[in-house]
Amino acid sequence: MNRRSLLATAAAFAALSPLPAFAVRAEEGLFVHKERRLVPALDVRDGESQPVTLQGPALVNLWASWCLPCVSELPALDRLAPQIEPEGVRVVALCLDRSGNVGAINTFARLGVRNLGVYVDYQRKAGEVLGAAVLPTTLLMDAQGREAARFIGPASWDAPEAIALLRALAAGRTLDPAMAPPLAKPRAAL
Amino acid sequence: MKKGLAALLCWLVLALPAAAGEVTGHFDLMDQNGRPVTDASFAGRVRVVAFGYTFCPDVCPTTLSTIAATLDILGPKAAGVVPLFITVDPRRDTPTHLKDYMEAFGPSFVGLTGPEDAVAAAAAAFHARYAIQPPADPADPNTYFVDHSAGIYVMDRQGAFVAKLGHRATPDELAERLEEVLRK
Repeated sequence: MNRRSLLATAAAFAALSPLPAFAVRAEEGLFVHKERRLVPALDVRDGESQPVTLQGPALVNLWASWCLPCVSELPALDRLAPQIEPEGVRVVALCLDRSGNVGAINTFARLGVRNLGVYVDYQRKAGEVLGAAVLPTTLLMDAQGREAARFIGPASWDAPEAIALLRALAAGRTLDPAMAPPLAKPRAAL
Repeated sequence: MKKGLAALLCWLVLALPAAAGEVTGHFDLMDQNGRPVTDASFAGRVRVVAFGYTFCPDVCPTTLSTIAATLDILGPKAAGVVPLFITVDPRRDTPTHLKDYMEAFGPSFVGLTGPEDAVAAAAAAFHARYAIQPPADPADPNTYFVDHSAGIYVMDRQGAFVAKLGHRATPDELAERLEEVLRK
């Protein structure tokens, strides 16, 4: 879905369900940056609280255990990792929980996540430093450590579109909003 | 001229109630432990108030994380601040549910819910607005979104409204504001 069709979909949705003017709802989808910017350094720790340096190319997914759409998206990332990591793209699910690696490890265990490493936003600065006002937000970081694009909202990260997008990232190609993976459908509450 | 003045006066009279409508910050709700609480229950502490709901079906705002990070910045002074989260979705956000949710942000967080009319009254007292939308999945009545206005309210130790910050306020900005209010 490209940017225009995404907007058209959003407009169609708005027409069906008029959004009150006061509501703040983030625009979701893939946002490709005209100018890539260096991802600021963050204090990222692994499951043993050891410092980790994020290196591109990588998909860096910001999540928290209290964020239900984030948790719903983790299994797709877990399925993606063994498909794309051999091609040189790291899949980093960065946990923003206050409880640090405890929250990440417990959530992974509950979901049966097997392939994702534990990464924790140790100083709890990632949301602010990366300008993520909503979760999930996923950054696509190129081989030079620059943010090439970000996806706002939950996506089907193991869909063929996502894999093609990450291959383009790894190959250093120009990304296009038309390469967006499908938005994951809103989950059913409870 | 006279006509213009009359029109101006008329406009002022019409505009005043909205402009002067005070953010009273009154509420009569229950916390995540099922205890009845009102704004008076927090007298003597500076309050940081946010509205929202826990079943964010697509994306979740990071407002409560911002508040948690702010309390970290304040360090020991955070003891003088109470963070309050008022749900706009009392049907799904029961005290039990809020209890788990609030724990994710820190031990001092208070989650507030109550009967629908009490929640509506609390929102009105903060000039916060919300609207429950039809279910996203027509087959499942529990899939509704709740659109709501965003922002972080700061109330002083007496419970009087001090400021409303945007939902994109940073922990540093909020901490600075709270430091001012705590000094008074």
